[in-house]
Amino acid sequence: MAEVAEVLRIVHDDPGLRFELLADLCGVDTGAAMEVVYHLWSAGSRDWLRVVATGLAREDPRAPSVTFLWRGAEWAEREAYDMFGIVFEGNRDLRRIYMPPDYRSFPLRKDFLLPDDASRSPGEGVRPMEAAPEPAVLTGTPADLRHAREATP
Amino acid sequence: MTSPETRIRSLDDPSLFVDTPATIYDAIPPYPPRTEREAEFYTLREGEMLINIGPQHPSTHGVLRVVLKIDGERIVDLDPVLGYLHRGVEKICENSDWHMVISHCDPLEYIASMFSEYVPVLAAEKLLDVTVPRRAEYIRVLACELNRISSHALFMGWLALDLGGITPILYGFLERDEIVEMLAALTGQRLLFNYMRIGGVNGDLNHEFMSRLGDWMSHALRHIEDSMALINSNEIFVGRTRGLGRIDRQTALRMCLSGPPLRATGIPYDVRRAHPYSVYPELEFEIPTREEGDSYARYLLHLDEIKQSIHIIDQVLHRIPDGPIMAKLPRLLRPRPGRAWAAIESPRGQYGVYAMSDGTDQPFRLRIHDPSFFNLQSVGLLSPGHLIADIMAIMASLDPIMGGVDK
Amino acid sequence: MTIVSRPWQRLSPAGRVLLPLAAVVGGLGVVFLGGVSSGILPNLWSWIYEALNDNVPLLRFLVAATAVLLFTVPTAFVIIYLEMKVIALQNLRLGPNRQGPWGVLASTLHGFKVLAKEDFTPTGADVPVFTLAPVVVYLASVMSFLVIPFAPGLFAQDMNLALLYFFAVGGLGVVGLMMAGWSSFNKYSLLGALRAAAQIISYEIPLTLSVVGVIMLAGTLSLNTIVHQQSGSFLDWYVFRQPLAAVIFFVAATAEGNRTPFDLTEADSEIVAGFATEYSGMRFGFFFFAEYVNVFILSALTVTLFLGGWNAPLDLTPVWQALGAHPGAIDLSGLGVGLLIAVLVVPPILTVLLALPFWMLFTKLRFWQALVIGFLCFNALVGAAVLIWAAFSFDAVMGLLWFLGKTYVFVVIFVWMRATLPRVRIDQLMGFAWKWLLPASLANLFVTALAILIIAQVRG
Repeated sequence: MAEVAEVLRIVHDDPGLRFELLADLCGVDTGAAMEVVYHLWSAGSRDWLRVVATGLAREDPRAPSVTFLWRGAEWAEREAYDMFGIVFEGNRDLRRIYMPPDYRSFPLRKDFLLPDDASRSPGEGVRPMEAAPEPAVLTGTPADLRHAREATP
Repeated sequence: MTSPETRIRSLDDPSLFVDTPATIYDAIPPYPPRTEREAEFYTLREGEMLINIGPQHPSTHGVLRVVLKIDGERIVDLDPVLGYLHRGVEKICENSDWHMVISHCDPLEYIASMFSEYVPVLAAEKLLDVTVPRRAEYIRVLACELNRISSHALFMGWLALDLGGITPILYGFLERDEIVEMLAALTGQRLLFNYMRIGGVNGDLNHEFMSRLGDWMSHALRHIEDSMALINSNEIFVGRTRGLGRIDRQTALRMCLSGPPLRATGIPYDVRRAHPYSVYPELEFEIPTREEGDSYARYLLHLDEIKQSIHIIDQVLHRIPDGPIMAKLPRLLRPRPGRAWAAIESPRGQYGVYAMSDGTDQPFRLRIHDPSFFNLQSVGLLSPGHLIADIMAIMASLDPIMGGVDK
Repeated sequence: MTIVSRPWQRLSPAGRVLLPLAAVVGGLGVVFLGGVSSGILPNLWSWIYEALNDNVPLLRFLVAATAVLLFTVPTAFVIIYLEMKVIALQNLRLGPNRQGPWGVLASTLHGFKVLAKEDFTPTGADVPVFTLAPVVVYLASVMSFLVIPFAPGLFAQDMNLALLYFFAVGGLGVVGLMMAGWSSFNKYSLLGALRAAAQIISYEIPLTLSVVGVIMLAGTLSLNTIVHQQSGSFLDWYVFRQPLAAVIFFVAATAEGNRTPFDLTEADSEIVAGFATEYSGMRFGFFFFAEYVNVFILSALTVTLFLGGWNAPLDLTPVWQALGAHPGAIDLSGLGVGLLIAVLVVPPILTVLLALPFWMLFTKLRFWQALVIGFLCFNALVGAAVLIWAAFSFDAVMGLLWFLGKTYVFVVIFVWMRATLPRVRIDQLMGFAWKWLLPASLANLFVTALAILIIAQVRG
């Protein structure tokens, strides 16, 4: 897993390759395992380069962060975390980006059921406002989370 | 089935009343910081204050919430909060047909929806190994370039509106209206066209579209230049945008920018030339770039791009061949299992789709890479040190569309 | 009380107004007859008349103040309509065109809408200060009306220190804005109020300094005298002798009035509505009105100081005398108590008298509709009477028309600038005031003083 960061760094820095533009960073849930897919572009080649980091475990997917190379990957990694639960080690700001901060599950995983089975889905659409339930450890939010309605002036 | 405990109570419920009103108006969230960056952001030093430019705001280009840490009028730090328009498009696409994906991806970049429809179609065509008829390709290019001009016209008006000029946006809408009426004659819709199909386009060019196009082309560039002449050399406008939000090349590459913000820094990366798709290799056009990288350069770059687009439309109209507009495809599409990446140049930047198919008639994974998402990241980098009034100018000049940012 | 309530219920609404009115009039008639016959009433009347006559200046001031206060409302309405229509036409759209012919009732309807909105105070706001802030801002604008000379003889008060009074009172607006921003429990409002305070006090200095040149030329602070000294042809207007001061004054006035390009206190694309974010309904209406009254006042002052006030561009007295009119025949400042009583008593009586024939002859008309028609006829009559009076005393009316014409040209220029220009940033605004306008106005001051000295030397 740690090889991915190394591979990307080599591909970025090597004067012959110089894949300096990160076109995309996304997570994939293949049912069996999780993947992180990077697309890179270089001024020297006509095609994109696709780097697939496969084999992340489905229960605790961890991947190295590439924010040291591209600061713009920060939000993409946040999105992959939010949608799949992939924890990027080295990302300074790994919190949810689309879902509310006390959301408990990861929507794009294949085991996420849609809200029409609200009672069976782990992230049901209707949630109580009095007391947010105990979040699972995987969300990364602390246990004393109160209702996170960030009211605005 | 929701139980009584999960009933959502209204905000007027007296049992929900907090007796210290200050807490409900504070931008600081009620939980301790979860990440390093959050801790750094929500720690206030002497004299600093958190202010919230909320999701409902006339200038945030959609529902974007920005928490500012300000010291008087200067901005110390900025934290955008997204997700107010998150519709779960990627998940919906996983449960839809390959054809239905077009309608779902349409409202992602709602101002320029030809592009947001085009990309999943392109990815599907790569997986299906479909040859699109040449007439359909030319019509696609025509529609896309028209949409690009209308989006740029709106951008320029919007930028002026955020700076306080209330007239240029109406001039921009006037230009956009002509083009949008044209596209309505072609596709039947003014905003979300639903025009691209896997293997071609939906309808052929018709008489009304061609007559409107002809009328428009005869005065297009002159009208647009006249409209924007109000602010191009206006001292107040230039004084507020020149030197603002300056990005240099290294930072642009590190922030994964694309589109006009990248080209305004001097890097001539345009997907139409770098990874040509459709009939762009046969068309002659230049990639406009500017060197300064500030908001004024981005604004002028949009004007240059409009000129190039008009040039492209001119060539397309001269070269367009006869023929079918749709390839012969089976009704039930089952692409081969595999992965495909397709990217085009939308008015905001590189718009990409990474599609994974498992052989069924539903996409296995449809990842949409929206340029506004990556361009908006730079706001946090560019704003510290500027004033609150500049945030609007910077955000407007990066041209985000929240539909794409939030997916 | 059934003996009264049953017939009362059978009365129409008009009847419910007329019956008590008839009773009151009847009672007054009895009292009048009794008073006249016993000699008490003429004594009482002469006592009242003499008391009023002894205090004519005070009475005149009260009437003037009331008139000025009432005049601000239609002025604001007209300027709001102008703004909507002119900006719309510059935006290549139509603007209000359905409310009345050409949409002229649009601002009246906006006024009604603003009255009908919910009036709330936000939680945590400081209620007395919150309630008083719009009043302070509005009064600061309206009090400046007292010294503006509309026509020869048509002014509320002729003070020796009119200009000083004007600038002093104009500065009170800052207090009102700060009160508004501070008392609403809102960071946006606070930012807006601080921006407003900084802007207004920075631009007051070039504003006053640019006017000192005019004061030196005229030799007095009284606005009336300044206008009198610009009589003659348009070449006597001070704009030709103090062009730089006129420009500085106009720019600083734009900033004082929070108008584009200096309208960042109410920049509705950044801090939504600035200091007035938490205000709604009539309170917001007060701020709104105050801004447009300010526009009128600043235009009026520009016209008074630099463009000759109520003077026509050329001296047209030979023309009027050839036509048989006598300008200056009636001096308005000399009219006394009789006019006051006439103005108080005649309109209602005339309205009712004019309404009665309509009500009696057209049975489908309700009484209130007849009253409206009577009011319109009364207005038509008064308009005609004023025109006839003007034929005898052109001075005041023509002066008023010139003054209003010139002022509205400047009002339209203000509106034009709003339609065209984007907004300036706060640091650019402050830099402009302190680095450019202030030195320019000081330079203007020195040059004017030198010129006056030199010309005085040359003339001996």
